[in-house]
Amino acid sequence: MSKLLIDVGSTYFKVCQQSGINQYFRDFNKDIFDDLLNKCGDIFSNYAKEDIYICSSANGGLSTLIIGLTNSFSLKFAKNIAFNSGINIIDTILYHKIDEAKAPGELIDVVILVGGIDGIANVFDEKLFHFLRNVHYNNIVYVGTKQDAMFLSENIQELKVLGNIITEKLHVNGGELKEYLTNLYQADIVGKEDIKHLYAITANQIYSTPYIVNRSLPLIDANFDVVNPFIVVDIGGATTDIHYSRDLVRDNIVSESGFDRLVFKKLGVYKSRETLIFAAKNNEFVYELLAYLNVTENILEEESEKALRILMQLSIFLVLYKVSRLHPLYVTLHLEQLKTVVLTGGITKVLSYEEAESIMQFFYKKVLGLHAIPNIVMDYEYAIWTLGMQNDTASRS
Amino acid sequence: MKVVTGVVGNDIHVVANRLIDISLQARGFEVFNLGVNTSLEEFIDAVVETDADILLISSLNGEAEGWCRDLQFLRSEYNLREDVIFVIGGNLAVGEANQDDIIPKYRSYGFDLVFHQVDLNTGLDELERYVKERA
Repeated sequence: MSKLLIDVGSTYFKVCQQSGINQYFRDFNKDIFDDLLNKCGDIFSNYAKEDIYICSSANGGLSTLIIGLTNSFSLKFAKNIAFNSGINIIDTILYHKIDEAKAPGELIDVVILVGGIDGIANVFDEKLFHFLRNVHYNNIVYVGTKQDAMFLSENIQELKVLGNIITEKLHVNGGELKEYLTNLYQADIVGKEDIKHLYAITANQIYSTPYIVNRSLPLIDANFDVVNPFIVVDIGGATTDIHYSRDLVRDNIVSESGFDRLVFKKLGVYKSRETLIFAAKNNEFVYELLAYLNVTENILEEESEKALRILMQLSIFLVLYKVSRLHPLYVTLHLEQLKTVVLTGGITKVLSYEEAESIMQFFYKKVLGLHAIPNIVMDYEYAIWTLGMQNDTASRS
Repeated sequence: MKVVTGVVGNDIHVVANRLIDISLQARGFEVFNLGVNTSLEEFIDAVVETDADILLISSLNGEAEGWCRDLQFLRSEYNLREDVIFVIGGNLAVGEANQDDIIPKYRSYGFDLVFHQVDLNTGLDELERYVKERA
């Protein structure tokens, strides 16, 4: 018997059978399980629990605060691993500036401490404990020099100690931390009231959608006309994810995966609409962009189909801006080398190809000073996640 | 002793970099080679992460002149150990320049030892002598 693949998004359910993909707009007055059963109950009855695979992006992901010794190594490596585990980075702190750092006001799911190659000692001291007293967190993990592990364990309650992510050659070794963060993420999904009920219809592990999409990237050219290096931009209701070929990055990280991802938790067009508008209003290009789209700032306050299309275009612009050389906060992608942009998620249900092309032209001309833009591929059927899910089911059988 | 080394700035002289790495290892140093195209901040960060004793920067086309001016600033910013030895060598000027102009300039940037157009082994002999004298 064939498989049934389900993606639980913050705005839509996507259900994939051999016959094709159907989408169902969520009823926010019902919990996810009841809503899904109500809309697709008949379909489920045709499949055994073992043949139903579910992924979810509806939980929004975990948050982290990273404290590290340097920008070029400990913080860079930890940020890369956190992003690739689908974790949202709330803040990063350079240890030698910890005295001036402000503790985040919100509850942090996991604090990551990192610094030093194995063999060096006394990297961390009393300043760290003083700072941590003001941070509200659920988990804390240490992935720095072995020599400080004992001292930190004695002074930080429930500190999880893992292998150092910095090797003796100053390369990244992310295996243990990535597994730990991925497990935390999974535990968070399972623990979410709405999601855990879904285990009534599946016997398989429920994964996060960004994880599944990332797994599909090596297979993407089976279904799409994609040339490497490419990026996949998944603009949904709550988050915007960007998955990119590592060929677009120039850094000192040597990793096994050819693809990394960034999750922008606050750039969705539905659940995080307000923060998207806030980010847009604070962007230096926004007024030029709105003029280019023949609208005024008032469109951002409207609740219309046109306003939604403008928001979608803004989110494409903002996500490219955030990974461009103008915004060197996290990762800088060499977008001038980009060959293909694959757009997926709710965006393909709203924007036409021409609208997507128009915003890409604005970005490339205005920000990068280029007239040629990459090839745009619209994943209208939102088929990318099914590639990743099928990959998962194949690897299990 | 631990040495962080590499080529600074937009400079891809990888052969020289490899020779320095091999020569340092042959003399018993523990080497952390950051390779070519390395920024000054990355060098300092590597010294911090490895708790290195020596930073040895090489440059072959005068790139160092623009890239190494912030050494003092970064040293103080990171509160580095006082006894870290900062060394720079290679061709340290764009075009013609004599030792009397170049050496004081790089000393003022914060380098303890400056080798402008000096043979690699001569420079490393000098470094070892300097280390012994400081001990």
